[in-house]
Amino acid sequence: MQILSDSLIGAVTPRTDAPAKAAGRIQFTSDINIPGMMYGAILRSPHPHAEIVSIDTSAAEAMGAVCLTYEDINPVLYNERSVSIPSATYRDRTVLPKKARHCGEPVATVAADTQELAFKALKELKVTYNILEPVFDPMEAMKDGAPELYDTIYLGDEAVKIHNNIGVIRNIDEGDCDAGFKAADRIFEHHFELERIYHCQLETKGAVCKPEPDGSITVWATAQSIHANRQLLGRILGLPLSKINVKKLPFGGSFGSSIQVNTVTPICASLAMKAGRPVKLITSREEDFYDHHKYPAIFDVKLGVSNDGRLTAAHVKAVVDFGAHQIQPMAFLGCTAGWFASLYKYDGNIRFDGIAVYTNKTPCCAMQGYGNPQINFAIESMVDIICEEMGFDPIDFRLKNYRGPGEEFWGQGPTIRSIIKSSGVEESLVEGREVFGFDERTAPSSKNGDIRRGIGLARGFHTSGTAGPKEGEVIDYSSATIKINEDGSVDLITPVTDHGGGTCDALKKIAAEVLQVPLEMIGLSPAETMNTGYDVCTHATRGVYCGGAAVYHVAMKVKDKLLETAGRLMAEHAYNLEVIRDDRLGQGVVQVKGYPLKKMTVGEIARQAQIMSWGTIAYTDSYRQRNCPPCFTTHFVEAEVNLKTGVISIPRVLIYGDCGTAVNPDLVKGQLIGSFNRGLGYTLYERLAYDGRGRLTNSGLMTDYKMPTISEMPSVEDIDVRICHTYEPSGPFGAKGIGEAALASVQAAIANAVYNAIGIRFFKLPITPEAVLKELKKKARER
Amino acid sequence: MSVHDITLTVNGRKVRLTVKSNELLLNVLRDRLLLTGAKYGCGIGECGACTVLHGRECVLSCFIPAVCADGWEITTAEGLSKDGKLSVVQQAYVDKAAIQCGFCTPGMVIASTALLYENPEPDEAEIKDYFRGNYCRCTGYAAMIEAVKVAAMRMKERGCDDEEL
Repeated sequence: MQILSDSLIGAVTPRTDAPAKAAGRIQFTSDINIPGMMYGAILRSPHPHAEIVSIDTSAAEAMGAVCLTYEDINPVLYNERSVSIPSATYRDRTVLPKKARHCGEPVATVAADTQELAFKALKELKVTYNILEPVFDPMEAMKDGAPELYDTIYLGDEAVKIHNNIGVIRNIDEGDCDAGFKAADRIFEHHFELERIYHCQLETKGAVCKPEPDGSITVWATAQSIHANRQLLGRILGLPLSKINVKKLPFGGSFGSSIQVNTVTPICASLAMKAGRPVKLITSREEDFYDHHKYPAIFDVKLGVSNDGRLTAAHVKAVVDFGAHQIQPMAFLGCTAGWFASLYKYDGNIRFDGIAVYTNKTPCCAMQGYGNPQINFAIESMVDIICEEMGFDPIDFRLKNYRGPGEEFWGQGPTIRSIIKSSGVEESLVEGREVFGFDERTAPSSKNGDIRRGIGLARGFHTSGTAGPKEGEVIDYSSATIKINEDGSVDLITPVTDHGGGTCDALKKIAAEVLQVPLEMIGLSPAETMNTGYDVCTHATRGVYCGGAAVYHVAMKVKDKLLETAGRLMAEHAYNLEVIRDDRLGQGVVQVKGYPLKKMTVGEIARQAQIMSWGTIAYTDSYRQRNCPPCFTTHFVEAEVNLKTGVISIPRVLIYGDCGTAVNPDLVKGQLIGSFNRGLGYTLYERLAYDGRGRLTNSGLMTDYKMPTISEMPSVEDIDVRICHTYEPSGPFGAKGIGEAALASVQAAIANAVYNAIGIRFFKLPITPEAVLKELKKKARER
Repeated sequence: MSVHDITLTVNGRKVRLTVKSNELLLNVLRDRLLLTGAKYGCGIGECGACTVLHGRECVLSCFIPAVCADGWEITTAEGLSKDGKLSVVQQAYVDKAAIQCGFCTPGMVIASTALLYENPEPDEAEIKDYFRGNYCRCTGYAAMIEAVKVAAMRMKERGCDDEEL
């Protein structure tokens, strides 16, 4: 996997879908219009916990609406997220329930000729509820006598009784924690709480479904995995998969919000099948606010430290309130344990006690990091506390204790592990210290005035994909098809979806580099489930590393066929031939190694192969990675705290990203800066509060949810983003991921900088002005 | 529901429509004229994804009953590019990697164009002030600020008049 000096890999090339996006001409799900289509709408439960006694649809039907209730949609019991293997997946839901378990849960649905009529018909649905007592607090939910959401659910095919709303217990114990704590000179224990937040991807979830004349159905949907959508629809609609075609579309941001098959998709498909007409169903922002959230977490962390600055043992207790349905809190707990275990060595002594609890709130799903930003905030805050109290240098301490090359990394919980081969941690910490002027920071006690500044740092990572040398609980492979056309241009067909980060551009570049085609001569074909092999999902920062590896693998096979065909035409052994990009000719050229006078263009070779009836130079295959390398990040942050108002601002940030080879450096920087913006929101502003009756206090309004806008960002020249100089030997052209890693350490870095500014440690997010003022008052009283 | 005959000039073309009094400009553009560049992000003027130009000013099309737009000259993101060529602002967005998922982009390029009509050489503070009403969840905005600056610089270098924005 050698990178040539004029390589496309690492070159800044404007992304190929950008012109169409700039011109507003890219079609998202909501932009799909089909002649004769109806409009769908969903009736959602106003109650957090209620049995549905009956639904009278007669008045709505009399208006010409098509209606569906729990009695009409196949009650397949499923889990919306299907990236884990079936025996590690809890199933607790149907598309429309007999019992609503959170406000905003779909209860019934209609389709009508116009949107207006659909909403009017919705109002005519008469639902009789038997209202049940809800429970919102996870600690209350676990008590005897608390209202129970479920009696029985299924793990794979095995029935599981639910007691005290405890959905999942996951305990992991490695090494000898008791001995590790005994060996420690000091023990640190702290309690952390992280709130529920919301993806607020700009495109709300939706679907358009079209029944076809042959009894099949075509589906356009907001989906991170087209194949997961197809497989679930097959079970619900009772159709062979060959009759369900899910189209790959761009989507308006995701951040994890469509890792699962969103309820809107089977609802829309069922409406279309019943109506025998296309149906479009796009959810409103308010509905989307009630659809999925990021997992909140409560952690109790205990770390043992020796006087010579070594972490000797670690114990994390986690309680997770995941809401009304399982979208894999089991995997979430496993992953959280893995991120925690992989951050530092702890002398190999780790214990994790995880418990995930049902409550009558919106179900939680993946959101950039899957437990990583949560646990990173706790551990990296603790490390800062340890260094402060024991007098260690925060950078030296991290360098001494972090898990680096040669050590084990848990890429997706305890069952997916591989050995770290590349790491930018040292580069980022050592260089960052100088670049940011970290050593010039002063102690909180030496600062005065109403405006105080502090400097903090934190480091983090995420996995690249979910594949290890051994298969574990998570499915991971991808597929690709590549063919060379008769003019030397190339078609790439990949099921890998692009959240917007530019994954598919990277895949194109990888194929173009292997086959030595100019970028403009390689096309990304429209892809759908019907013409692609399986790809599990664009999640777990696996798009470039795993999807790209499949493209690399298939491109190499196509290259073999190309050289073999060229050999027959040129009367040369294939191993004597090489393909190089000729930008002057605008295509690849196959030539004899060391004798470039004897050559043929790739187009000529493909055309001759066609004329001789030898066939198309093409290949299709699936490919599985066998590693899950961590992509590392480090954040150095300067925070400014206004003691009068409690407002925190960020004047300056230095971000290091270690993605191995950066296939698209400008897009990697875009990921890092975008994630910093979202991290600002997570740390300082965002919080989904419930009103005690199961409703969100922001009422589904974006402005009341308080995301960071452009105004909260540091000025452009004060955002310094650097890409580490690393090469991942197992990645395509040395690449690993970056997406989720980019967020992991933002929260702790900001909180550590706030501590350095005002000497107050925050253990709960968000650190709102109210929280700052309250702590300042408390501190003044203590004095 | 009363209906009204209205005339709009959209991307330079005159269209006559009969609209209901509760029909929103965004829905007319997207569903009836099939100009899907302007997006639904919130439906109540919070996010800016539906931003279009009314003359040289930004308006939120999800917020405006179509009947109120009678006689307006409207430009959507599709209308900024002419003969398949991107406008200066759109090209700057492409060149500065200011586009990720692309859902906010049509609104952003429209807002950037309106800003440059109003202020041909905005500084960073002025750009930030102008974009407070446009959410982007992907990019962190830095590349957009650079794109606006690049667009302004290119306009100045070429001595273009703002008709070419």
